[in-house]
Amino acid sequence: MTCKSCSSNKTPTMKDFQSNNLFTWCTNCGNYGIHTALRRALVAKKIPACQTLNCFDIGCNGNGSDKIGGYSFHGLHGRVIPMACGATMANSKMTVIAFGGDGGTLGEGVGHLVHAIRGNYNITFVLHNNLNYGLTKGQASPTTLKNMKMNSSPDGVTSELLHPANFVLSLESTFVARSFSGNVKHMAKTFEQALDHRGFSFVEILQSCPSYNKETPHEWYMDRVFDISNLADYDSSNRQQALAIAQDQEEKIAIGVLFQDKKSVPQIEKQPNRKDIVTDAYEETRHYDISKLLSKFR
Amino acid sequence: MYFKNRYVVKAAGESGQGVNSIGEILAKAIKNNGLYIFGYREYPSLIKGGYASYQIDIADQEIKSSSKECDLLMCLSRVSFQMYLETVRENGSVIHSIYKLTLSPEEQAYVEKNKIHIIYIPAQDLAIELGGKRIMSNTIMLGAIWQVLGLEIIGLEAKIKEIFAKKPDVIDINLKCLQAGYKYDLSGLTRAVLKISEHKNFKDDLLMTGNHSISLGAIAAGVRVFYAYPMTPSSSILSYLASVYHETGMLVKQIEDEISVANMGVGSMFMGARTLIATSGGGFDLMTEAVSLTGITETPLVCILAQRPGPGTGLPTWTSASDLNIAVYSGHGEYTRCVVAAHDIESCYLVTQHAFNIAEKYQIPVIVLTEKQIAESIFQVDHMPKDIPIERGLLSDEELEKAVSADRFKITESGISPRWLPGSCDATFDANSDEHLSDGSLTEDAIPARQMYEKRIRKEESLLKELPEPEIYGSDNPDISFVGWGSVKNSVIDAMNILADYSDKKIAYMHYEYVYPIRTEKFIKYAKTAKKLVLIENNALGQLGSLISSKTGVLFKNRLLKYDGRPFFIEEIISYIQDKE
Repeated sequence: MTCKSCSSNKTPTMKDFQSNNLFTWCTNCGNYGIHTALRRALVAKKIPACQTLNCFDIGCNGNGSDKIGGYSFHGLHGRVIPMACGATMANSKMTVIAFGGDGGTLGEGVGHLVHAIRGNYNITFVLHNNLNYGLTKGQASPTTLKNMKMNSSPDGVTSELLHPANFVLSLESTFVARSFSGNVKHMAKTFEQALDHRGFSFVEILQSCPSYNKETPHEWYMDRVFDISNLADYDSSNRQQALAIAQDQEEKIAIGVLFQDKKSVPQIEKQPNRKDIVTDAYEETRHYDISKLLSKFR
Repeated sequence: MYFKNRYVVKAAGESGQGVNSIGEILAKAIKNNGLYIFGYREYPSLIKGGYASYQIDIADQEIKSSSKECDLLMCLSRVSFQMYLETVRENGSVIHSIYKLTLSPEEQAYVEKNKIHIIYIPAQDLAIELGGKRIMSNTIMLGAIWQVLGLEIIGLEAKIKEIFAKKPDVIDINLKCLQAGYKYDLSGLTRAVLKISEHKNFKDDLLMTGNHSISLGAIAAGVRVFYAYPMTPSSSILSYLASVYHETGMLVKQIEDEISVANMGVGSMFMGARTLIATSGGGFDLMTEAVSLTGITETPLVCILAQRPGPGTGLPTWTSASDLNIAVYSGHGEYTRCVVAAHDIESCYLVTQHAFNIAEKYQIPVIVLTEKQIAESIFQVDHMPKDIPIERGLLSDEELEKAVSADRFKITESGISPRWLPGSCDATFDANSDEHLSDGSLTEDAIPARQMYEKRIRKEESLLKELPEPEIYGSDNPDISFVGWGSVKNSVIDAMNILADYSDKKIAYMHYEYVYPIRTEKFIKYAKTAKKLVLIENNALGQLGSLISSKTGVLFKNRLLKYDGRPFFIEEIISYIQDKE
């Protein structure tokens, strides 16, 4: 891919997505693997750093906003999705990726997720699902297991948990994938597929949290995840099959691209009044003559 | 006619009866006949029923406000008759189509005391007799109003033909109905004596609302993205921009809630597309977290805040200027912002354009306040103002070549750091809502945190130098010195023009269009020499007054405040000036 502003054709490297800032995540945090996998996927897709906008929610993932090269925007808790949707609507040429945790995305910002899927905005959204609010020191999130004793619920969580992949599959989503923070190679491949998809790509990462999730650590996932690409008869264009296979999050947990609509059309291409316009909104700032619009007011 | 050369006609009925259409046709036809109008709408927050009105003040010179009382009331429903009878002034007239209308003792007493002449027109029967439909009774009533106005029928016929151009089969019958109303026996009714202005080509004059002007200003300023969630009285910006989006190519999107509207606005502006968002008070409350976000990420944002009375849902379809405080003080933390208050067509058009220049140059949120009275009232202007040149405050290509990541939030004396758009090569940065260093890298250390904080605050000082002082209108040696903002200006200036003809009282009015950060040098001088300083605002707390007092120590002992959902009517200002000394 060519850099759009200088037309240079140099191949992006891992170094382009590097930052000099030191990581601040806990030892063995799943974020390290996600971060590495993301850089690998961007390099593999030959996307220049200056053509990448990584958008971060508030949470442990957001503390990585300055640990990666390219452009970053670190927004508000639960609001990263609309911010990233606004970015891609204004500039559809840049690669826009958004990251959010299970708390921000499925608690405070769940409405944004629903409408971004309805709109099929052309972004890749990575859900860091570590089953708790880590940065605020281990409160229950919408994905915390029922009866789990957490900082905010000493006798156990009393609400039912929300299954992210099933929830998203129940909407008219066009790309739903799942991966595991302990498998960098699988995550990188999944990210690549998400980046290729035209529309809203939802990627749930089952993420270990060594500090506040003792119940389902790295090893617990290792024993349970299996890659659906190894299944001979799995059809990722079949939503019902995806819903069925995504259901089990206890015994055998499916990872990989669970569902994809290959005919997906992103929101920006659905604008009835912009079919003949080749530029993006960010390139169109100039004075416009309104005199032709005035006759209606006479 | 109560005031010299000003005549007031009010069309009233249930919501859904076509009052608004009658008003619009009437307003355009009167304008085309060589007069100036100002149109004021009252309507309930429901689809059908209740009471609604469209009042047109008519004059021989430019006017921008409404009278409290009308000379002619046209009524289509019993409820609206009851609501509006007492707005008819002494010797005024009522024409109505209410079958078997009987007056209550109170109404009878009001009619007798004020010598009001009432005539019933069986408009629905007439329409059916002529071979039309019931709804055409509205055209008959329109003809009757035209008769009282004493204008040539040809002017109204032309407008009817234009409106029904796409339904040619109903033109003839509507013209017949118009004639029937125009010729209906209204003997005894006081006729209007309208002074046709000598001015030029009235047909080229424009009739539009403040929301139209804001929309046009945005289009002219290169706004290419508009996001909103419907909320009165801002909604007609969304519907107007959507109605012309094939002509403009603008991305116009209704979004699921105001939180998303604001955050999508941040995203689009961050990428460099001029993006407008619009809402009213309740919606703005939801946006304020994102407004605060723009403060620390130094992302430009322009939001239209069209005011209506609160708290809560308040009076959803009425007017107010009570959200100055949330515009100025909303959002957590401290950062530079700009608050501008529009008041008429010229102001809406220019302020919207200027807001984008300020937002981009200073990399701050700009909130443009309007009121239902401005957003939805119908103003007459002979042309749109000259556009303001676009200023984006972006680095030139040459400057960008030398830029490094650490320039983006560089500590500068003015507080303004170099800005470039994502997508530009090499000098990438992190727009970080956590406190950060000059390339956006997170920091929690005291010294750089304080430096960055102060840098952002310094922008206020730099901005203040660029913002205009308030304007003063009227006498140099006034008996009463008003201070106000927003639509209040329109009412006070109109009242001053009327008073000039028959009162010796000298009046001045100081108008704040650029409200925050607030300039006070001119005000301090104005207040020092004022014989009687009067704060006038469409709210109960005197919010501008509090802001001025906090900066200058000058207290407002005299306050003319109104907070019942209605704008200031000119009678109210005139009686305040004349009676209260």
